[in-house]
Amino acid sequence: MRFQPTLKVLSDDQIYRIHQAALQMLMDPGVLVKSEEARRLLAQAGAEVDEKTMICRIPGYIVEECLRKAPSAFTVYARDCANDVHVSTTSVHIEPMIGRLNCYDHASRQALPTTLKDVGDLIRIADAMPNYHLLHSGAIMPQIDGIPIRATHAYGYLESVRNSTKPVKATSREKIMAEDCLRMVAVVAGGEAELRRRPCTFTTDNPVAPLHHDRDQMEGALLYASYGIPIDVTSEPQAGATSPVTIAGLLAQQTADVISGITIIQLANPGNPVWYGTCGSIMDMRVGRIAIGAIEMGLINVASAQIAHFYDVPCRGTASATDSKELDFQAGYEKTSVMTMAVLGGVNKIFYPGTMEGAMTVSKEGLVLDNEIAGAIYRVLEGIDVVDNTLGVQLAQKVGPGGHYLNQRHTMQFIRQEQFMPLLADRQIRERWEAAGQKNMVAKAHDTVVKILAEHQVDPLPEGTEEELKRIVREIEKREEKRS
Amino acid sequence: MADAERIYEMMKKSIETYDSDAAVAAAEQAVAEGLDLVEAVEKGFANPIRELGEAFDRMEVFLPELTLGADAMKAGVAVLEKALNAQGGKLETKGIVVVGTVEGDIHDIGKSVVATLLQANGYQVYDLGVDVPSPRIIEAAESHNADIIAMSALLSTTMLYQRDVIELLKNKGVRDKYFVLVGGAPVTQAWADEIGADGFAHDAFEAVQLLDSVKEGWGK
Repeated sequence: MRFQPTLKVLSDDQIYRIHQAALQMLMDPGVLVKSEEARRLLAQAGAEVDEKTMICRIPGYIVEECLRKAPSAFTVYARDCANDVHVSTTSVHIEPMIGRLNCYDHASRQALPTTLKDVGDLIRIADAMPNYHLLHSGAIMPQIDGIPIRATHAYGYLESVRNSTKPVKATSREKIMAEDCLRMVAVVAGGEAELRRRPCTFTTDNPVAPLHHDRDQMEGALLYASYGIPIDVTSEPQAGATSPVTIAGLLAQQTADVISGITIIQLANPGNPVWYGTCGSIMDMRVGRIAIGAIEMGLINVASAQIAHFYDVPCRGTASATDSKELDFQAGYEKTSVMTMAVLGGVNKIFYPGTMEGAMTVSKEGLVLDNEIAGAIYRVLEGIDVVDNTLGVQLAQKVGPGGHYLNQRHTMQFIRQEQFMPLLADRQIRERWEAAGQKNMVAKAHDTVVKILAEHQVDPLPEGTEEELKRIVREIEKREEKRS
Repeated sequence: MADAERIYEMMKKSIETYDSDAAVAAAEQAVAEGLDLVEAVEKGFANPIRELGEAFDRMEVFLPELTLGADAMKAGVAVLEKALNAQGGKLETKGIVVVGTVEGDIHDIGKSVVATLLQANGYQVYDLGVDVPSPRIIEAAESHNADIIAMSALLSTTMLYQRDVIELLKNKGVRDKYFVLVGGAPVTQAWADEIGADGFAHDAFEAVQLLDSVKEGWGK
């Protein structure tokens, strides 16, 4: 039996105290719930609901009962079932970021407005990267350059789903956008019944820290729950700004945000798959901005995984992000340190690879670079296998003092499983490196991007599906033109 | 005026220790001792808060210190202003600003820092809060007889409402009455130009610098 490396930052007693503090907050001051449907569900379950202030005070027993209904394992379906993702409290899957306002241009080293072509390219790169399993998409973007803003989700979803066979995320940001997306996902799934049986998407619901469930988001999330679609319920507190500055206080309030969201979703659809999610970090008080590459995020990710697992629910974390404006030392250091902690801490879904500049920007080269970091950390997660054959006593007897192991079958047999082979990090001698063009990792990542975009093939959508999706997109665009 | 200097020192100290109660006490003493209240505002509160703002800009103090220092200043200035008004006087102001985060957007922090620093720098500020519908921004500007409308948006979807406000101002035929300042994470100079705003600032300091530099242009 292999010993799996793990990292913990909270004792059992500390987890319990955080849980109790969260329950206390949910009773006093309570949580602001702007969705009427959600308030109705809470009132029906026995919460104290003030319709005028929209404040709901939720007793601990309701929350704990709902948390027990949330599954510890579930599947996120893909349009190619070989890419289905089996989520559990022990699995580790990675979700790169696709849709951001800006896309980094390697040649000019500038962040330029993301176009629809960028969305397709980013998705295709993520599709080709072996360490990415769940794909964020253009459907969640606030804006795509050159696309009518109110039809962004529809264009973004289509451009994403046609460029990958992995599970593609859809938006719950507004009820009407959620309806549009699910209509399109149903076409991809092969009809409404198939959408319920194999819903090939997932979404995020963001409570607004502190203690606030926005109407639009929650209505969207409840629509996803009506189909049993997995939802990561993720709070984004910034220590000192939208939560107490203390990490214990941040964790308590984040937990209140998240478990009240999970409670509402479980009341709407008992057993609906959810992640306990964190995008918690600190505000850098010198500049008044969230610091998304801060090492405190490492602590917060690990603690969040421990809290999620205390509830026996998978954890979504946020790592592989950076505040750097370039793919430089700062980016490498921030991404790797927080990512390592998140993986070793047992976070089950890790979101944000590919981002830079405080996640204002996403980068094609960044997706390739972050895939390599992920690969290295997956190797750490494999741990060290200690059995007779790996201890190699007999082998050492055979080779003897002063010999070497290069000509041994044992070496050949184990090399691939024992050692991670980086594709981008350079280990050559200087002369060879110079002869190969003195390329750093970013330059090599760019070469990989060019190669993937030229060569990587994605199974096309089934006959007629793309045409049907295009028809829906045009219909949505027309409807929105009328509305404005 | 040794007494005055002593009280200014108390006021300064209240800002440096972020102590609203001490600021109020010092202000009350200034009133009781019959000091020149306009001078008290300037020397007792405005100078130290500007120094605090500059220290923040140099990254020597942090946001909570700036916020709490500004709270102390506001508490003290409120006492002085009330007494001044009772005497029939009025505080000098560089300009009247209505500031708010636009409709659909609940992001508060950046907007509040802008409001704080403008106030610290001698502007009379009406903070309308967050998620403010476009017509309400204009109503507030009209009713407060404002010189400047400052709008924040953190989301690229909500920044469209900045244009909305400018269009509404035009429709009402009052566009020229106001200097319209826009800001927020996705907002750029190009966006400000596109929607016909008068100014754009990356942060609160730029906002103050910009308004100070165009003061002559307000038309009032």
